[in-house]
Amino acid sequence: MKIEKLLQKLQAFFNTDKHKKRQHIEELRKILLKLKKKERKITRALQQIDNDNLSKHYQTELEIIRVQRKKGIEVLQQLKERKKI
Amino acid sequence: MHKVLLLIVVPLLSYGFWLSDAFKGIAAGVSIFLFGMLSLEQGFKAFTGGVLERILQKTTDTAWKSFGFGFLSAALMQSSGLVSVITISFLSAGLLDLVAGIGIIFGSNLGTTTGAWLIAGLGLKVNISTYAMPLLVFGVLCVFQSGKQLKGIGYILTGLGFLLLGIHYMKESFEAFENTINLAEYAMPGVKGLLVYTAVGIIATIIMQSSHATMLLTITAVSVHQITYDNALALVIGANIGTTVTAIIASFGANIQGKRLAGSHLFINLLTGIFVLFFIKQFGIAVDIISANLGIAVSDNAMKLATFHSLFNLAGIVLFFPFINQQILLLERIFIEKRPAIFKPKYLDSSAMDFPETVVESVRLESIHLYENAIHIILRTFGLRKSDLQKNDSLKQLIERNNHPIEYDIDASYEKRIKGIYSAIIAFISRAGFTWEMAQSSKLSWLREANKHIVEAIKDTKHLQKNWTRFRTSNNQATINEYNKIAYQIVFHIQQIDNFRHEIESNELPLLSLDTLKATIKNDDMQMNRAIETLIREQKITPETGSSLINDAAYMRNIKKNLLKAAETLFLHSNTGNARAEQQLTLNETEINDVVQTVDNQ
Repeated sequence: MKIEKLLQKLQAFFNTDKHKKRQHIEELRKILLKLKKKERKITRALQQIDNDNLSKHYQTELEIIRVQRKKGIEVLQQLKERKKI
Repeated sequence: MHKVLLLIVVPLLSYGFWLSDAFKGIAAGVSIFLFGMLSLEQGFKAFTGGVLERILQKTTDTAWKSFGFGFLSAALMQSSGLVSVITISFLSAGLLDLVAGIGIIFGSNLGTTTGAWLIAGLGLKVNISTYAMPLLVFGVLCVFQSGKQLKGIGYILTGLGFLLLGIHYMKESFEAFENTINLAEYAMPGVKGLLVYTAVGIIATIIMQSSHATMLLTITAVSVHQITYDNALALVIGANIGTTVTAIIASFGANIQGKRLAGSHLFINLLTGIFVLFFIKQFGIAVDIISANLGIAVSDNAMKLATFHSLFNLAGIVLFFPFINQQILLLERIFIEKRPAIFKPKYLDSSAMDFPETVVESVRLESIHLYENAIHIILRTFGLRKSDLQKNDSLKQLIERNNHPIEYDIDASYEKRIKGIYSAIIAFISRAGFTWEMAQSSKLSWLREANKHIVEAIKDTKHLQKNWTRFRTSNNQATINEYNKIAYQIVFHIQQIDNFRHEIESNELPLLSLDTLKATIKNDDMQMNRAIETLIREQKITPETGSSLINDAAYMRNIKKNLLKAAETLFLHSNTGNARAEQQLTLNETEINDVVQTVDNQ
């Protein structure tokens, strides 16, 4: 019984890096999902407003989110590739 | 309270003006006199930190030196009132301290007695009011010059000119009264005569605004035996008390130090007067002895009166000069400085000092307190309140609707809402020191920077306020629109930072939202400068207005940047769940610039 527990602990220790990578991928996925939702919300809001300043602000925000998502997807792909190796 | 007083005084004055021309003249004289005081103060301020301070410091660094300075000035100017008025303006400008001021008053009290000797001995009287006109002409000439020091000299000369002109007007208007005061008709013996004539001396000096005028009347009257010698002594005592009214009038326009000095002048002269009244017989004997030694004839009452005037003031010096410090303590109790209610730190508790983490958190919370106050000041500058930030779409309309001039004193608000808290934060951080582990030290260092950004934002708002107030009431609609745009963009930015705070609370990717705010600052700046260039090209605004707008757009950008930098440090304190991953997605400077360019091309 004691040996079993010890082996489990050892396995967990050697898998820490893998676990962290998985966690990181999960975090990125969550962020990308949130960004996607935010993007949709702003697109909807943009269609409804007639204030020039606010409209410009939303356009900027949309473009920022677009670039951030693109960056996020690239990082995610890199992580997935590294995980395979 | 002041407004109620104003409502009472204005109708009363108006009624007085309608009733009597002489009263109108007296009131105008007092007003011109007070205006002269203000001008004099402004002039002396131009020299602060320079030559005048050094001269004054050297000539008034001890009570005795101040005494000498006062004596010489009063002897030269032939007016203790004028010396005390100038001293009050020195005090108000912060060039002198109260000890030196009181020393000068003592000196001027003795210095002014040389006038009595001149009147009695030579029958000469220097009429200072004749200097008013050339002083005003030369003064105004200097005021129109561009050099700071020349301007300062101009203000001093016009100030002196107005003082003399004010006195002149008062005297002129009181001419009718002066004719009615015929001292020869009312000789009175005994204690009753002493008291009545002291009162007459006080009133006559107040009316004529010059102890010299009372002295002249008294000496003339006593020399032709129109009044008794004893009554004349009482008149001199009264004149010495009455002369303090000049300083009292001057102190209305002065700060608390000026008021204390005027109080001191009254205190010294009044108590000396009472003392001399008690020992009038002994003083009479002393005057006789001194006069005999000086070779003054027993019947020469005029010269004896001059001797009495000097002896009387000398007695005041002997009695009260050694107690200057006690006098100051008393004056500070009577004239209490009213300080505006200053905002105090809420979170800086010395008990937090024991734990590095609590120190950091206390400083962070206090810095947020400072940030809130800064936002209050910025919003008030544009005529808004914090609650207006909730009115999303109508912000623009709110700013545009406020088309009346907004007079908001940023300096006063800074003193009230920022300075105390900011100083306390800096002191707290310094006390905490950097003895702990690096993590806490660097956090404190970041917080200190955040505080600096907050203060910078207020300073930029102050710079912006000048033109914002000026151009908002301009006739050019294009200029008004641009200034309203500047205000709107700052307020909108503050609103966005507020949203950013809520995003932190609800963990809605705050770190990534910062990129939008950074891009918006760049975008707004670009758009604004482009709009200004177009307006100049299309001749909708003048190049001068355009250059002001460009400068003010730069202030706007700095305000936004500083507020954002402060907010980043203050509000992004606790790591959100996905902070590491979020950080990977934030955009660098080049990426933000690309976004701005893309949006611009859309």
